[in-house]
Amino acid sequence: MKLLSIIATKCSAFALSLIGRGGSLPGSIGLKLDANILKKLTFTGPVILVTGTNGKTSTANMITDLLSTQGYHVISNRKGDNLKAGITTTLLTNCSLSGKVNANACVLEVDELNVRHILPNIPVTAFVVNNFFRDQLDRAREMEQLIDSIEKVLPNYKGELILNGNDPNVVRLIKKAPNAHATYYGIAKNKYSLPKTNEASEGKFCPHCGARLTYSFYQYSHIGEFACTKCDFKSPELDISLYDIDLEKETFYYNNEFFKSPYEGMYSMYNCSAVLACAKFLNIKTDVAKKVFANAPQPKGRNEKFEKNGTTCILNLVKNPTGANEVMKVIEKDQKDKVVCIVLNDREQDGTDVSWIYDTFFEKIIKDSTKEIICTGLRANDMALRIYYGNYKGPLTVIEDLDTAISTSLSKSDNVYAIATYTALLPTRNAILKGMK
Amino acid sequence: MNYTMKVCWMYHDFMDLYGDKGNMMVLKKRCEDRGIEFILDTCGIGEEKDLSTYDLIFLGGGADKEQINLIPDLLSRKENIKKAMDEKTFVLLICGGYQLFGQYYIAADNSKISGLQFYDYYTDTGKAGSRCIGNIIIDANLDGLQTKIIGFENHGGQTLNVTNPLGKVLVGYGNSFEGGYEGFYDGKILGTYLHGPLLPKNPEVADFVIAKSLQKNHQTFKMSDLSPLENEYDKNARKVLIDRLMK
Repeated sequence: MKLLSIIATKCSAFALSLIGRGGSLPGSIGLKLDANILKKLTFTGPVILVTGTNGKTSTANMITDLLSTQGYHVISNRKGDNLKAGITTTLLTNCSLSGKVNANACVLEVDELNVRHILPNIPVTAFVVNNFFRDQLDRAREMEQLIDSIEKVLPNYKGELILNGNDPNVVRLIKKAPNAHATYYGIAKNKYSLPKTNEASEGKFCPHCGARLTYSFYQYSHIGEFACTKCDFKSPELDISLYDIDLEKETFYYNNEFFKSPYEGMYSMYNCSAVLACAKFLNIKTDVAKKVFANAPQPKGRNEKFEKNGTTCILNLVKNPTGANEVMKVIEKDQKDKVVCIVLNDREQDGTDVSWIYDTFFEKIIKDSTKEIICTGLRANDMALRIYYGNYKGPLTVIEDLDTAISTSLSKSDNVYAIATYTALLPTRNAILKGMK
Repeated sequence: MNYTMKVCWMYHDFMDLYGDKGNMMVLKKRCEDRGIEFILDTCGIGEEKDLSTYDLIFLGGGADKEQINLIPDLLSRKENIKKAMDEKTFVLLICGGYQLFGQYYIAADNSKISGLQFYDYYTDTGKAGSRCIGNIIIDANLDGLQTKIIGFENHGGQTLNVTNPLGKVLVGYGNSFEGGYEGFYDGKILGTYLHGPLLPKNPEVADFVIAKSLQKNHQTFKMSDLSPLENEYDKNARKVLIDRLMK
């Protein structure tokens, strides 16, 4: 069935591409015909998987660029989805009929719950894990079960684990991987590190013995330097440690070298640290990584700036409390008067449970400089209710129609922040482009 | 008359899944906007607190692994919690907190965890890791107040042998996949699986909880003694979901 599975996937992918589609369907067909098709593929060169709650897309993209810039011919699912079927589509449409993948490097972004379907079935050289935060728990169930599903496939893994050494939920993975070697990356204590936090939902207890964890400092959320109060579980010594970071200038140092981060925020620097860890593991010079950072594309809706006739609108995607809190910090930094427009949807990709808005510190934008908050989207009223109970004193308006909500925001201030959930992002972007015409 | 509502939020630092802290924000604002002093205290593992001195005890839900950490501490407070309940401290329990007031619960890894055993209900785990997940609407009767309660449920636990359910399920699952009823209410405690969080979209339940709590020190206090407090957002948020789910 292997040959048939490959041919069927290729044919359906081709047919779908003619009508401008693709994605997971061809891979699903391939998997129907041969459920073990991934196991039968042969690979040349490094195969790198990237997973984690936040930042896996930009990290995987930068690692792909790192390898391309170094001269590898890389296959990645940059344009495809990150579930089993989508990854199968990517691999089968890029392999020979005998099952040989036509590339000498492979970088795959993998959804956390799909790691168990991918990692045991292809020869992974390096497995990069960014972080684990609460994200869409209605889909992913409790985070613990998610980590558990990854731990279950680690005992036979013989490759490299490239782990965020500042996240206890990530560091714990090594204990389940006796045949693997770990490289730890992270960021050293710096002027933004905090002795205490009220942002952390995770990292309260030792994943091994259950005793309390203590932190010598926090970077953001539950990311920081931790140690168990009872057993020997603690932050490992970092193999790749960024230092002297500057969040205003978006710069950092590593190994006495100066770098510029392509994106804003501490969390983005963690992605840079992961890329540098991959470079070290693959013996790629830091100059190549510098080039990648300098040329990294600005993804749509990640602090995307629109400007016209003196009006500025900044669009941000929010999808979970940790990511949203980082967005709030960016808005909070701007002390000028502003209007904030929040688009809250509850479709499957947004998370059908909107309770996460109460785990997010919208209080950071509930300030005098926020002159009005306009809520829209399928759950606009829930959003407004959250702001109401956050004790916002200014005008709080619900406008059902997205275009009207955006154009109203733009008419009320020359400094607008738009925040949108996943399925609302592109429609919001279009509404901004339309409203600024 | 000056009123004070004194709340103890137990294990607040980790029993706070799915935005349950929103419930405290709602109680605070709905008290303070009416001139009722609102005092929120917390009680962590090992902390010395007399729970019977509070008007309301609140316990939310946590992840299985985290929840297990509090069991010895919670059980050691059994007598004190009983005293509090006997002395009319009202108790609001969400998800894991609700389960812990029953006989026991079976965790996802099949271990049996003893509860406070104040009530006969007990909680099994969903077959093959299945969970009740989704929007939920129930029809509840709170001491004569008939109201639809709207929330989001996300639980593997199947709570059985519930003698006094909070309400009848109109949309969703409730205490168990097939049971048709949700939560527990007996005048002393209100236990439910509803997140969302529970109180923002259900202002009547919020005010009911405030009134029940104030009755500890003001026996004749009625819900109708609370001055009206209206906002268009909760009405519309309710309408959107009722229209979407009940048509």
